[in-house]
This record gives sequence, structure tokens and C-alpha cells, in this order.
Amino acid sequence: MGTQVKDVIIKPDATSTLLLDKHADYIAAYGSKKDDYEYTLSEYLRMSGIYWGLTVMDLMGQLHRMNRQEIIDFIKACQHECGGISASIGHDPHLLYTLSAVQILCLYDSVDALDVDKVVEYIKGLQQEDGSFAGDKWGEIDTRFSFCAVATLALLGKMDTINVDKAVEFVLSCMNFDGGFGCRPGSESHAGQIYCCSGFLSLTGQLHQVNADLLGWWLCERQLPSGGLNGRPEKLPDVCYSWWVLASLKIIGRIHWIDKAKLRSFILACQDEETGGFADRPGDMVDPFHTLFGVAGLSLLGDEQIKPVNPVLCMPEDVLQRINLQPDLLS
Amino acid sequence: MAESEEEVDVLVQRVVKDITNAFKRNPNIDEIGVIPCPEARYNRSPIVLVENKLGVESWCVKFLLPYVHNKLLLYRQRKHWLEREALADITCTLLLLNPDFTTAWNVRKELLQCGVLNPEKDLYLGKLALTKFPKSPETWIHRRWVLQQILRQCSAMGRKHQQGEAEQADAERSQQLSDHLARTLHQEMKVCSDAACRYPSNYNAWSHRIWVLQHMAKGNVKVFHDELSSMRLWVSMHVSDHSGFHYRQFLLKELITELSLTPASTPPSSPQRRRSQVPDSSPPPPSQGPANGELSGAEAAAEEDRQLLQLFHQEVELCSDLIQSFPGHETLWSHRRHVFYLWHHWRREHQHHCSSNGGNASVRLNNSEPTLAEVGAQSCAGRGESVNGQGHASDAMEVDAASLPDPRDSKRLKRGALLPGTPGLPSEHSFVSGVLDSCGNPEQRRFALAYRKWLDTVIGQQP
Ligand SMILES: [Zn+2]
Repeated sequence: MGTQVKDVIIKPDATSTLLLDKHADYIAAYGSKKDDYEYTLSEYLRMSGIYWGLTVMDLMGQLHRMNRQEIIDFIKACQHECGGISASIGHDPHLLYTLSAVQILCLYDSVDALDVDKVVEYIKGLQQEDGSFAGDKWGEIDTRFSFCAVATLALLGKMDTINVDKAVEFVLSCMNFDGGFGCRPGSESHAGQIYCCSGFLSLTGQLHQVNADLLGWWLCERQLPSGGLNGRPEKLPDVCYSWWVLASLKIIGRIHWIDKAKLRSFILACQDEETGGFADRPGDMVDPFHTLFGVAGLSLLGDEQIKPVNPVLCMPEDVLQRINLQPDLLS
Repeated sequence: MAESEEEVDVLVQRVVKDITNAFKRNPNIDEIGVIPCPEARYNRSPIVLVENKLGVESWCVKFLLPYVHNKLLLYRQRKHWLEREALADITCTLLLLNPDFTTAWNVRKELLQCGVLNPEKDLYLGKLALTKFPKSPETWIHRRWVLQQILRQCSAMGRKHQQGEAEQADAERSQQLSDHLARTLHQEMKVCSDAACRYPSNYNAWSHRIWVLQHMAKGNVKVFHDELSSMRLWVSMHVSDHSGFHYRQFLLKELITELSLTPASTPPSSPQRRRSQVPDSSPPPPSQGPANGELSGAEAAAEEDRQLLQLFHQEVELCSDLIQSFPGHETLWSHRRHVFYLWHHWRREHQHHCSSNGGNASVRLNNSEPTLAEVGAQSCAGRGESVNGQGHASDAMEVDAASLPDPRDSKRLKRGALLPGTPGLPSEHSFVSGVLDSCGNPEQRRFALAYRKWLDTVIGQQP
């Protein structure tokens, strides 16, 4: 009986060199050819889309090719009365896009373009009695939003405005028997949520609360024979999950537990030689999201053609040095 | 066709109306989809209603979506006024095409708050969107908000009617409310199951299901038992669905919490710890003792322990069966870890509790019962598979206060409730050896070895 393991097969002729120029061209051109339909479909997450594109350009040393002023003006227009920032003009504000906007402005060293006090008030107002954070005024709770809140505040140097102890207590209540974390207490462990929670614990100085060996074990089991990583058992490998798992391993000091060379060849095989960009898996359609996480993953794996990336905030280390932010990592 | 702005305008308004009318004509639409159809056909609406399925021809989506999208955004920026009815129609069309458009759901939340829409209508719209987009995070998020509105309304009504209404009307009223909530809960479980079938390991569907139980069935042991037994068949048919198995683990954990002794606050002799919700007819405990009311506190405690032992036993047996029938599934091995972990912890806490309360319960964990390995060997023998016989050796881990005579033993036998075997480290090791001896599937072997290592390092090294 053949193996039924859910994985992909990397063909022997798969791309094995990093095509940085192609990727930069792909991102620079993205958005200029905006088709009405495609554009509307993804407008609800535009701010994050811009963060993905700009961050990968910065990691490749190509940030100057993007239209800085236009982007800053756009972000200003997305800040609402309440202080929160929306994905695009006319959309409602949300923590997810508030973080993306602040990340972008850090890349551009222009956080002052926003009313920072109001951003801080907005975030503060979303913290609940149990320490958790709602994503917006409608009250959905998720550990992702806890990460968004502390990441934004850390970038703004305003962490002390929220109840950090309570926030930590809530995130820890989402820890599972396998060392991982889910979106709420009792929810299944998931690589994306684990990334958010270990990033959260790093930013709040609480990484000692993680069972690093147990969590590291679970994360390493995400590596499949192809070298790629999945986000949960029996899911297919994916470039974005490869980043979330790899970054989490880096945060908890266990990155050497996986086969780095195999992961590198998986990520490289997800490039599109013709169009540039990375897809989730070899042969699929590329997009800016997977392009960022492909390049960021290669950076964490030590590729020297790319700027070093920070595993907690997924931003270039030099940007964080500029604002003097150094999140904890376990050794 | 339809290229000029006015033409698009007319076309789209007609299509939005067609969709609204389709829902009026057939309130039982249960699925939506896009019909591949690159060209418009004259004199025919792109909205097709066949039985209970609503289809939109693909050619019109590229006009329709940007149009309704922009219209809503103009409204949101106060650049264009829309009547409430029009808003309801436009957001409906929009969300059926692009259910992750958060702001459109928010507009509906506002319409709900001012009474233009009702909660049931929005649960229905979400359900339809999930037939085409079963993962859509924003649809699940909106559902939770709507459910919270329903819960709030119900508790407000409950309060209002408690003050100064005739007793009988009050009782009727609260019966209606609880029926309503039970129906909503049931529908919600169905929506989750459908979405789980449409997309494997659907994280959003399963974490929603957990949220629903946490908010709408807290402490209701019967609901948890029913869920556990109805999920049995589902997981057996979806052995790769890690989220479905996680849900089972969640149910088990909740049941353990509900059924377990809480040593400090409620000693086993206290009558308070008997739970009124314990079902007397739900499937999991096959051999029912007398109703709880007839038991003393200690007997009720013993009964609950027995139920728990049975739950664990049945779960491990199900897991062994599935692992042997469907070799090479990581999900099943991961489930085994979780179940064993729950068992291991329950037993440790239980022993701790019992040793401070006269050592009653540990007697029931002694080595006079068949071990898990024996149960496993029996079930394998039935299928003609061989399993390492070492498992028959008595399990040192299980010998706790074994020599204490238990006055309830005879009673238990009379009730015909033979205690099932309980897992322990040695029985788990022999299960692994059995798999390694009999199975050539490389994946199965890899998972078995990883499980063995997990037992040694994670469980074995715990104090
Ligand atoms: Zn992905």
C-alpha cells in the first residue's frame, strides 16, 4: 500500500535559487494592474495587503520603489474618530488593520502621521475584564487580537497603558496540553495562533511561561517529508504556515530542531520563475501574502541576500533597532 | 453586453431585486453557488432557482460585486443615502458573494439593533454563505454576535417576566424561552456539521461549535453526552479530521470536569455534588445503575467515577480500533495522546483526592480489572490481527490501594456493571509494540514510534 501522507512532491527540476529581482518586480507591479473584481474581493484586508508588500520589499532592500506619500496619505484617511484604523477607506476600523497600519508607518519612520494617542485609546478600550481583546467594537474575542494589541502598543512604546498581567492571564488560559495555543480557551492548537501567542508572550516578557520543549515538539512535527511545514496534523504544507511555525520555533529557541535545508528547498520550490512571487505550494498561484512569508522564512533560515527579519513582528530588524524595540527570544 | 455605466446600473438593480424575490418566493433555499456561464443569455435572469438551490450565473458576478460593494462603501462614507430595505438587500447580495467583507456584516448588525432585521434572518443568511464559503471567518464571527444578541434578549425577557407576572404565565414563558434556546442550539450544531463536511479540519467551524457549547450549554452534561455520542460516527468516517477529534477531546474534558470530584469544595459525601443534569437515558453509559436520587453521596460519587472510567475506556477502544483499521493517520495518534493525557491527569488528581478522603476511589483502579492491552488484544483477535501478548502482564502503575477491600464491590457486581479496563503506561507501550509487530505501513510505524517517545518523555517524566 502506498503512503497516504498528505504532502507534496518536490520535482527534481524545481526552482532551487532565490529569484529576488523577479519578486521585487512582481510586488512593484502588483496593484497597478488592479482588476475591478479582484480588487473589490480583497479590499476588506487592503491595509494588511500593503503591509505584506512593503515589508517584503524592505526585506529585499527595495522599499524605495513603492509610493511612500500615497501610502501615508491613505493610512491617514483610514484612521477613524475612535482612533482605530480600517482596511480601506469607508470600511470599519479593526485591530488587525490598526496593527498593519502602524507596522507600515514604522517601516517609513512616520508614525506621527497618525493621531497616536487616539490609537492607544482605541486599543485600551478593546481590552475586556478577563484581559482578552476584542477585535473591534462588536466584541469578537481571539488570541490573535491580543497579539495585535500588544504588538501595536510595543511599536508605539505604550505597552503600559493596558493591563498586561490580565492580558497574559487570558493568553495562558488558551494553552493546550500539547504546549500549543488556540483562538480561545478550549480551542484546538493552530500554528497561526501559536505564532500570535508566543509573539505576545515575547512582547510582554513572559516567554518563561511557555513549555518550550513540549511546544517545540509539536511545532517540529509540522515538518513533512517534502520539507514544508503544515499548520496542524494532516494538513498540506504551506509557505505561510512554514513562516508561522518557523518564527514560533525561533521565538522559543528551538529553530535548530527542524531540517532547515529541506525547508529551504520547499520554500524555494514555491517560487514562480516566470511571474515572480511565491505561492502556498509548488505550482499554485502566487500572491503578496505568501511572497512575504516565503522571503521572511528564508531570512530566518539565514539567507544573506535578505535583510534579517524579526520573528515576533515580521519586520526588518533594522527598523526595530531604529525604534529601539527588541522582543525577547528564548535561547 | 451591459458595458456602459447606466446599463450596469440597470442590470445590477434588477439582479439584486431578483435575489430578494427568490428568497421571498422560496424561504427554504438551503444552498448557494455560482453557475459557470461566461456569456449572458438574453431575456433570462442570471439568478436561477432550482428546487432549494440559488445560483448566480458567473458572467454577472463581475458586474454585480463591484457595484454593490461600492454602493455600500459610499453609504458608509455618508456620500450616498440608502433606505433600510435597500441596505438589507444590498448587504445580502454582497455577503453571498464575498462573506468576509466585515463592514457589510457590521451594517447588518446595526440594522438588527434597530429592529429592521431579526436575528433568525441573519443566522439564515450566514448559513447560506457557509454553504459556499464554509471557512469564512467573518461569517462565523457574525454568527457569534447574533447568538449573543439572542442570549441577551432571552435573559432580559426572563428577568422581566419574573417580576410581577402571574406564576403560571411566568412558567410558560420561561418554558418557551428555553425551548427557543434549545432549538437555536440544535440548529447551530447542524450548521457546524454541514460546514465541517464541506471543508476538512475546518478550524472556524469547530471552534465555533466549542464556543456555542461554552455559551449556550454550560454545565449541561446531557448535551455534552449527546454530542459525544453523535460525534462517534462522524469521526470514524473522518479519520484525518484533526479538528473533529479535537472537538471530542474538548467534550471529554468538559465531561471530566463536570463529573469529577472537586476535592476542596465538595467532598464526595456532600449531596450538592450530585448533578441534576446527569442524563438517565443518553447512550454513553450503557449499564445504568439506579437513578442518582436513590444513591447516597458516596454511591453517587462512585457512579460518576464509573461513568468516567467507561468514557475513557470507550474512547481508548474507539481510538485503538480506528488506528488499526486506518493505519498511518497522524490525527488518530494525536487523539490517543490527548485522551491518554486526560486520563493520566484525571487519575493523578483523583488519587490525590481519594487518598485524602479515605482511599475509596483508587480501589476501582486496581489491577484486578482487565488492562487496556487485553481489551485491545481481544478486539484485534476478532479481526484476526495479532497483538503483542505482553499486555496481559499486570500493570504495576495500576496497583494503587489494591488490597483495600471495597464494600461496594458486591453491589457493583449485582448491578452488572463490570468495570472496563483502564489505560496505563505499560498497556500503552504494549499497544505500540503490537502495532509495530504487526504493521508494515511506514507512516504508521513512524507515528507509533513518536507516540512511544511521547509516552517516555512527556508522560514518563512528569512527577
Ligand atoms: Zn498559506
